[in-house]
Amino acid sequence: MALFLFAACWLVVGAGLSTLASIKLHAPGLFASCPSLTYGRVQPAAWNALVFGFAIPVGLGVALWITARLSGTMLLGGRGIVIATVFWNLGLVIGLLGILAGDSTGVESLELPLYASPILFVAYAAVAVWGPVTFSLRRTPEVYIAQWYLLGALFLFPWLYGAASLMTVVAPLRGVLQAAAQAWFLHNLLTVWLGFVGLGTLFYFIPKLTANSVQNRNLAIFGFWTLALFGGLGALQRCHGGPFPAWMLSLGVVGSVLTAFPLLAVLMNLVPVLRGGGGTARAGVTLKFVTVALAFYGLAGFVTVANSFTFLRRTTQFTLFNVALDQMTLLGFFTLAMLGALYEIAPCLVRTPWPAPRWVKLHFAVATLAAVVIAVAFGAGGVVQGLAINDATLPYFAVVKRYLPFAATGTLAWLLVLVGALLLALNFARLVAVHCRQTCIPALKGWFRAESVPSEVKA
Amino acid sequence: MNHGPLLFFGVFFALTVSWFGLVIAPHLQFGQQEMVVIEETGQSYPPARPGEARQGAEVYHANGCQYCHTQQVRPRSTGADLARGWGKRRTVARDYLRDQPVMLGSVRLGPDLANLGARETNAHTLLLKLYNPRIIIPGSTMPRYPYLFEPRRLKPGATPSPDALALPPAFAPGPNLEVVPRPEALALVAYLESLKAEPLFFEVFPSASTNASSAR
Repeated sequence: MALFLFAACWLVVGAGLSTLASIKLHAPGLFASCPSLTYGRVQPAAWNALVFGFAIPVGLGVALWITARLSGTMLLGGRGIVIATVFWNLGLVIGLLGILAGDSTGVESLELPLYASPILFVAYAAVAVWGPVTFSLRRTPEVYIAQWYLLGALFLFPWLYGAASLMTVVAPLRGVLQAAAQAWFLHNLLTVWLGFVGLGTLFYFIPKLTANSVQNRNLAIFGFWTLALFGGLGALQRCHGGPFPAWMLSLGVVGSVLTAFPLLAVLMNLVPVLRGGGGTARAGVTLKFVTVALAFYGLAGFVTVANSFTFLRRTTQFTLFNVALDQMTLLGFFTLAMLGALYEIAPCLVRTPWPAPRWVKLHFAVATLAAVVIAVAFGAGGVVQGLAINDATLPYFAVVKRYLPFAATGTLAWLLVLVGALLLALNFARLVAVHCRQTCIPALKGWFRAESVPSEVKA
Repeated sequence: MNHGPLLFFGVFFALTVSWFGLVIAPHLQFGQQEMVVIEETGQSYPPARPGEARQGAEVYHANGCQYCHTQQVRPRSTGADLARGWGKRRTVARDYLRDQPVMLGSVRLGPDLANLGARETNAHTLLLKLYNPRIIIPGSTMPRYPYLFEPRRLKPGATPSPDALALPPAFAPGPNLEVVPRPEALALVAYLESLKAEPLFFEVFPSASTNASSAR
């Protein structure tokens, strides 16, 4: 619960910072004299707030909840998890202030300074460890596919974050090897970690809400292992044209193409489930969220495969197009899946319905629209930008003028994300308030009465 | 059936495969790369940056320049970087041996800077550009960095500081004020001037094909 609460706040912060960064793209004079708010600091701070503030904690929360649900047990470690969450957020605040103060490590997507990242690492371990512990005490004989994906994710992150931080920040490798390690981290995080958590959530909610079962268990497990194995191998497509030996860049293409296997496996399994359940579906907003999330997953997956080939990549490399692709995964697929889960789980946790059900529907519309706008605007803008870069007769400022309208549209998308995040946060606050009125206040009153009775007796 | 250990080791193994393929294998291949002596000049390449330029690299990443500017030149087959005059040759792994952290960059909202030091040799132009990019390119979307500079009051009749920027009247802060770069600005410009990935050595001779592997 605490994970979700903080995550909702971070979504607001992340969206706010992203909006600011995006505005600064077309209005560079804004806050120019404040060093902490220059684009080069706000941009990484926004990304870190979204990933480490929203995506990872909310993913952890959903993963733990579903694991406990499917194991037929209570989640262990309640108080420890809350304390670790507080530390995680504390570490993140310190890290983000560090970035804004100019202490970034300078390694893209691993910017959090060294005085913050160990806190995050330990806090993650202290939260995630309860997943496997709960799983090992399960009362159900069957292991569900969702559990495979979610536990896989829980195991994956410490290796990923630890190894990448070690090789780029703590004891950096020489030269461009750092860049390879950084690409490895970012790609694994987006493709495999977000993929595992998001897909685990889809594999839980889609069959449950449509009252159908997943057709082919072996196919799903095949998808799991191929994603684990090939997801990370595609990392070097990010370095296309970069200062690396040719075989490394080829490996990036090969890895990307191989991720078509898990992609097809997931779609072949889940799309029939969605289709089949059309009539009997419990038409809820969560189902809408996860359906759109699945659509974004499919789309982002196919575009990633296509985009790894040189004939496209020579245009899209170093442009907004790749930003669009990453955001399709983060804002489109993952965030929508998590929001769907959040809107389903939170009322269960406090046994109170959402105080403003209309806001939930509104948030769905806003969040979907935002993801579509950013995918379309940056996708198209990236192609325009790439074509202009490769037209050597254009001076660079002409290139900037061509992509600028598309980049400006991004501001609209981030504003939508911000509105959605505010809707979620306010709804959450009201939910907690209602819950407190119903449970905490009587409990507190009872507690006070119990406290005061003995004192009266004494008097 | 207990899937826990299978999952744990399986995921670890899968991650190790990509780790090995993308990081360890390249490390074994060219992690021990050393400086190379350029035949024409007898100097070793890449050269060590002077201290001021090294401080400038810190200013560069503290302010996140790499979020808009790349420092890599693609070979002719994968983009028009060479045709744009961003370099005489593609960049290779050896160019970055002395960089810490390596800031290749991933998005080109602004032009590539791998050879900025060779392209723009006038330090004063770079200072003006940092103070306000619109002095050089009207309408530029690059942020200003006024906090790297210091406005100073000028006593009437006193000679201006030799370091003061020669600002066009439209951008001057006012009468009796001069704008002097802070040490950070000078360090950053020293770093930018040191960005040159031009010397030719065996990996990058144009005849050896622009696609040649950068390894060995």
